[in-house]
Amino acid sequence: MVIQINFKSGKPVYLQVVDQIKAASASGALLPGEALPCIRPLAEELRVNRNTIAKAYTELESLGVIETIPGKGCFLKHPQSLLRKDIRRKMLIEEIDQAIVQAHHLQVPGDEFLKLVRDRMAALEEKRRSNEKLGGPT
Amino acid sequence: MSAVTPAIQLENLTYAYGRAEAVRGLNLDVKPGRCYGLFGRNGAGKTTTMKCLLNLLRPQSGNVRVFGMDPRKDEVAVKRRLAYVPDQVAFYPWMSVRETLDYLASFREQWNTKIETELLERFRLDPARKTSALSKGQKTQVALIAAVCPETDLLVLDEPTSGLDPIVRREFIETVIGAYQEGNPGQRTILVSTHLITEFEGLIDEFTIIDGGRAVLTLEADTARERFRKIRARFTQPVPEVGFADALRVHRSGRDLDLVVSAGGAQAVETLQRHRPESLSTESLTLEEIFVNVLQS
Repeated sequence: MVIQINFKSGKPVYLQVVDQIKAASASGALLPGEALPCIRPLAEELRVNRNTIAKAYTELESLGVIETIPGKGCFLKHPQSLLRKDIRRKMLIEEIDQAIVQAHHLQVPGDEFLKLVRDRMAALEEKRRSNEKLGGPT
Repeated sequence: MSAVTPAIQLENLTYAYGRAEAVRGLNLDVKPGRCYGLFGRNGAGKTTTMKCLLNLLRPQSGNVRVFGMDPRKDEVAVKRRLAYVPDQVAFYPWMSVRETLDYLASFREQWNTKIETELLERFRLDPARKTSALSKGQKTQVALIAAVCPETDLLVLDEPTSGLDPIVRREFIETVIGAYQEGNPGQRTILVSTHLITEFEGLIDEFTIIDGGRAVLTLEADTARERFRKIRARFTQPVPEVGFADALRVHRSGRDLDLVVSAGGAQAVETLQRHRPESLSTESLTLEEIFVNVLQS
């Protein structure tokens, strides 16, 4: 899994890490039970402060995406969401709203936007399947 | 909520060299566990401020507190809890790297030999080499190792990367900071002054820009990148003549309009959309771009 930080996105750095790990888990680039990089090497590789990575991991843990096993590190959890359905929906709605606003800025019409959503779902599904076939991350 | 004692607190710090005021009423509050940047041009007062923390200079007025202590009264207790790397490092030329580190360790209550070995290896420094035979970058690396090994609560770095070539710079600052913080995660504090801000983009939690001895802007790095944005719009016709109350800078050229905003830019984006731009994009400024824009406005 490769994490990339873009300081020009205006999104807090720890959130960029959180979102990319979530995406990697959705696409199968990270598989349940698989270890995440340790805080210090990841911080050095991304040239960010360890506080930032620690904050991202804490957030992922509270969201139930990863779990920390003392002395062993952080691991991706099996996708059994601990969050209530309405909270999950609310989180998703926030993200969708952002994408809709962006589509409006970029003058992408509604039907084209919906088609893109379907295409992306298919593409991620495809990626997940091929990752699972390989039995590991790429 | 109980108040945590700040690692560093400066209140109205003023220092003048003769008649020349270097620091004028500077306030600074550094919470423990942070990596705090002090950004300023040459002569902005960064080094003077740091020297006041160490009681190397005695301020004419204002309050200095390091972990709640006054460096003028409790100099030894303050120095026990911090390590300092000055902008110009110098060692005894006849000593080897090994002898230099042992000599510096002899002043300290503790010394982490594991970190010392790890960093010597990572920087490929030969312990038997005389310090007089080291390059400028290698001398800085030795000074940084000597600052990290005593495992103090506070690390004060004055322009640690200036004068080093880009490859060396890229490699080592995050290594040193990573090794230092790892020993007591979330508790160790770093104050770093620099004008080479790009090197520290991801490392800084919070920063103060100082200019002419005064604090011009203090913000969390993430908040700063959220607020300071560049907005680009292109129109099908010449740029409409509208004003932008929230813009720090406006640049028009034909059908293109570039804005720099310091408060997120929601208002400017709304104004622009009313004029139906052909394209509209926003991106955050980097800390270095923020620095330049703040000092030029």
